[in-house]
Amino acid sequence: MARYSPKRLFRNRMNLVPFLLLLPAFMVLALVVVFPLGFSLYTSFTPYRLIRPNTLHVWIGLRNYTDLMGNGDFWAAFGRTVLFLTIALNVEFLAGLGIALLISRITWGQRTLRTIMMFPMMFSPILVGYQFKFVFNDNIGILNNALQALHLSDGAIAWLVDRNLAMFSIIFAEVWMSTSVFAILLLAGLLSMPRDPVEAARVDGCNPWQVFRHITLPYIMPFAYIAMTIRSLDVARAYDIVHVMTGGGPAGRTELLWTLIARTGYNNAKMGMANAMAYISILLSIAFTYFFFRKLIAARKFMRGAD
Amino acid sequence: MKRRTFNKLLAGGALGALAGRMASADEVTSAVYGSFDGVTVRAKLIGGAQYETLYAEIPKWEAATGAKVDVISRKNHFELDREIKQDIAAGTLDWDIGSNHTSFAPQYGDIYMDLNSVMKPDVLAAFDALALKNSTVDGSLVQMPRHSDVSNLYYQKSLYADQGNKDAFKAKYGYDLAPPETFDQFKDHAIFFAKAPDFFGTQYPGKDEAITGRFYEMLVANGGALFDDKWNPTFNSAAGVKSVMWFKDLYDAKAVPAGVLNYLWDDLGAGFASGTVALDLDWAGWAAYFNDPANSKVANDVGLIRAPKGDGGKRAGWSGSHSFSITKTSQNKDAAASLVTFLTSHDNQMIEARKGLLPTRTQVWKDIAAEFGAAGNDFMVEVFNTYGQSMAEDAFTPPLIAPWIEVSNEIFPRLQKAILGEMTAQAALDEAAAAATRIMQDNGYL
Repeated sequence: MARYSPKRLFRNRMNLVPFLLLLPAFMVLALVVVFPLGFSLYTSFTPYRLIRPNTLHVWIGLRNYTDLMGNGDFWAAFGRTVLFLTIALNVEFLAGLGIALLISRITWGQRTLRTIMMFPMMFSPILVGYQFKFVFNDNIGILNNALQALHLSDGAIAWLVDRNLAMFSIIFAEVWMSTSVFAILLLAGLLSMPRDPVEAARVDGCNPWQVFRHITLPYIMPFAYIAMTIRSLDVARAYDIVHVMTGGGPAGRTELLWTLIARTGYNNAKMGMANAMAYISILLSIAFTYFFFRKLIAARKFMRGAD
Repeated sequence: MKRRTFNKLLAGGALGALAGRMASADEVTSAVYGSFDGVTVRAKLIGGAQYETLYAEIPKWEAATGAKVDVISRKNHFELDREIKQDIAAGTLDWDIGSNHTSFAPQYGDIYMDLNSVMKPDVLAAFDALALKNSTVDGSLVQMPRHSDVSNLYYQKSLYADQGNKDAFKAKYGYDLAPPETFDQFKDHAIFFAKAPDFFGTQYPGKDEAITGRFYEMLVANGGALFDDKWNPTFNSAAGVKSVMWFKDLYDAKAVPAGVLNYLWDDLGAGFASGTVALDLDWAGWAAYFNDPANSKVANDVGLIRAPKGDGGKRAGWSGSHSFSITKTSQNKDAAASLVTFLTSHDNQMIEARKGLLPTRTQVWKDIAAEFGAAGNDFMVEVFNTYGQSMAEDAFTPPLIAPWIEVSNEIFPRLQKAILGEMTAQAALDEAAAAATRIMQDNGYL
């Protein structure tokens, strides 16, 4: 006892204060993030079926994962999801950039247009799915009827059945719903951009393309990568769109990881296998997020905004 | 029970008729349904336009019994299925009544009680015995059938009355044009009438359990079976291939819409009502809608015959019943049984039957036909006579096994691949059978 002076005890207590203050946050995080993640990881090593709760206690090691290694349907859905993400995010970026550039040039009614631009984000993905299911319906859909009325097509195009058109249709719906995320963030970047470098470039004789390519685009790229990162994390919302429009079919032609995992986990009640799928697919999310973060840091360094 | 005539069904229901009349004569009172003051019955019910009318009657039961009904969930059946599975996993079966279906019931294990112990014998006697048998899982009556479902063939009468069509068809196919008795004739007629993309011979549901079920009933009609006696999959047989080719031939001939593989039940009904489809194998729930000039372009031109036969001489008859179950964990079993009795009572089945939903009480079949007859609605009389006959003679359920939906999820994508030409019919069925075998092994059937 004699070794611990009051001063030293007080110092030790003071050292604990930061940890004590952080403890509630750690506990909440553990409860709402770490525990569910740990639990779902555990279930991926079991044959857990929702309708047979006792299967939760059967340890089967890596069997779910080894089964998935040889599961062609799973890897096809994995590849299709990569394709879906790549096309959707790039098209959303390009379309969002175009919209942002156009709106940034408007001097009257910009606020109204910005509000209108956000309308698609206000729709629930399920409603968007039903909307485009009707648009792309081969028989009564508005698109086929318009094409036939304009004599651009004399047959019913099977938008939601053809291998390429079905993927195009769900990507189109996803792009329609989410392009405004890019547009808003890029517009924020454009509006915050200092005018001096642009005017200096023009004085130096740069044409509009050169101004855009060497000044505007590098400036807004960090915003683009932030948008990409956010979208790559929440793009799984597209599950509802795909579920409503095609259900992952026909013949698995639009099956993405999310529809496959939902069918396995809920319809087939094989939650252990579904969680194994989800953990493998997390690698995809981590890869996309890591890629965009690297790009974001590089872009900020280019703009001398990061150390 | 498999081969009864409609008349036998009606005669056999004499006891049920008496019980039904007694029930319908009774008011909704505590003398009939009991008194449950202060009790709250928690229910998870299937939602949707065709189901809601019945729920509007619940306040009558509440007023009579003093109990309250708390509907804690009202979703379509697939979403409700997910929710119930989550409740099983989480151990939160703290509700009393759940909507159920004969196809779904086996997968829920033992969460529902045997209703034989709480339903009155005279009430049970008023129901069609086959409907009760199909509601029984492992010897336990886990659900009370609310209304049933089976498909019959609607057709545009004017197409068959047209002399030009008759002559052209006879010249091309060598036999007379009349509403089809077999699936082979059905296919010929559909191809003959089709003029894509403006007019189609028929449609079929193209995905999920809907196409599996359609395939299953054709398989049976063609003399095949999904499983043998030991639960080995046997649907990759010659009968199975023939059934798949029916779908594929129609698709290749453009006799069905190009997007048919993405269609479900609502698409079929909307298509036939739009007047752009010649034949539609569909449920009775559409009948009134099809013949309503306000909603349908084929009103007053709708013919109806029983589902066609396959090579096995048997008619298609994939059937099931929507139903109500009571959880074993219910704290209010008597009140719940009373509510289920009320929801499936004679008068309430009459309300649903007026919408075209097929009753499960034998007396309601007679009474609804009499009611439509008295009102001069010959079409609906014909509808109930036709569906009554097919329920009595043709109806059969999918295998009442827990992994039915899981097996279906393996079959339907392969059917789609075969229809789209990505695989041969035989290869697709072989692959599905191998997957089904694994499922049956995993579930302890093999």
